[in-house]
Amino acid sequence: MTLTPLQKRAARKSRNSHALDMNLVALIDIFTILIFFLLSSATEVETLPSFKSVKLPESSADTQPKETIIVVVSGTEIVVDGRKVADVADAMKAGDDVIVTLKAELELLAKRQVIRKENEGSKTAVTIMGDKDIPYKLLRKVMVTSARAGFTDVSFAVRQRLEA
Amino acid sequence: MRVRRLRKEVAALEVTAFINLIVVLVPFLLSTAVFTRLAVMDLALPAQSSNKLEQLKANDLKLEIVIRPESLEVGDRIGGLIQRIDKKDGHHDVKALNTLMQSVKQKFPDTKTASVLSEPDTSYDVLVQVMDAVRAGRSTNGGPKVVRVELFPDVSVGDAPVRTKGAS
Repeated sequence: MTLTPLQKRAARKSRNSHALDMNLVALIDIFTILIFFLLSSATEVETLPSFKSVKLPESSADTQPKETIIVVVSGTEIVVDGRKVADVADAMKAGDDVIVTLKAELELLAKRQVIRKENEGSKTAVTIMGDKDIPYKLLRKVMVTSARAGFTDVSFAVRQRLEA
Repeated sequence: MRVRRLRKEVAALEVTAFINLIVVLVPFLLSTAVFTRLAVMDLALPAQSSNKLEQLKANDLKLEIVIRPESLEVGDRIGGLIQRIDKKDGHHDVKALNTLMQSVKQKFPDTKTASVLSEPDTSYDVLVQVMDAVRAGRSTNGGPKVVRVELFPDVSVGDAPVRTKGAS
């Protein structure tokens, strides 16, 4: 039986075509696993922001951070909830234990109304994110100031150490 | 005469769109991923209103850890100094402190509070490490498994007593 020209062409074409046969199964496997892993880790709620300028000390504490007012003490400045309130150099120089500008800011925040009942407890809570190189003297000033402003529930933010 | 056979086509999966999606998603998620876990350490600050004097009891432990520049001093407010832990390799020996804390905890199993007293120039990192050693420890308890034991979880922070000149 002779082939029609069209059939001949199809046969020639299939004979000559070298389909690129890439084995992508392993690649797709890895990517799929990576995506699931990253998606699950990305959905974790981050209550504490991270700052490049603050290196938190490491600790084995495993208490989850709560939604509180955050005082960030870096090497150069003191920031409350994203607003810079004082310079570290000025605070260190002052002989007084209370940092006036920080106290004013905290008192302003303390006046905020609590709408939800369950957030009542967090009204006196403050989280201090301190750089690990700041001296205790400065930390003490920040703690005294927040205690004076009515925030008696102080907690330190730390980086969780991976247990071997 | 030629025999016509059924030509078997190689099964081909069209995965280009899927790979495109993955290639975009993976770098995006990698760039947003956070690999450090944050936690908080609660502090027991003495309430401002408590100014009535507390009666000290004789067999009540008031554990105090004083961070000095060259050593760690572990003491009881009533009983005096328990042990001084010298620096090791330029660092405060928190491991030895942790071991000591575990033995103290065995003697006073009901005590949960401790005070960490530091000098003005103590760095925050050292303070947190010492607090860490006081709060919890890891021991084998005689068995093969390492378990996390709670030591003195209610840690408060304070000023170190000023040393008088001449006294060592």
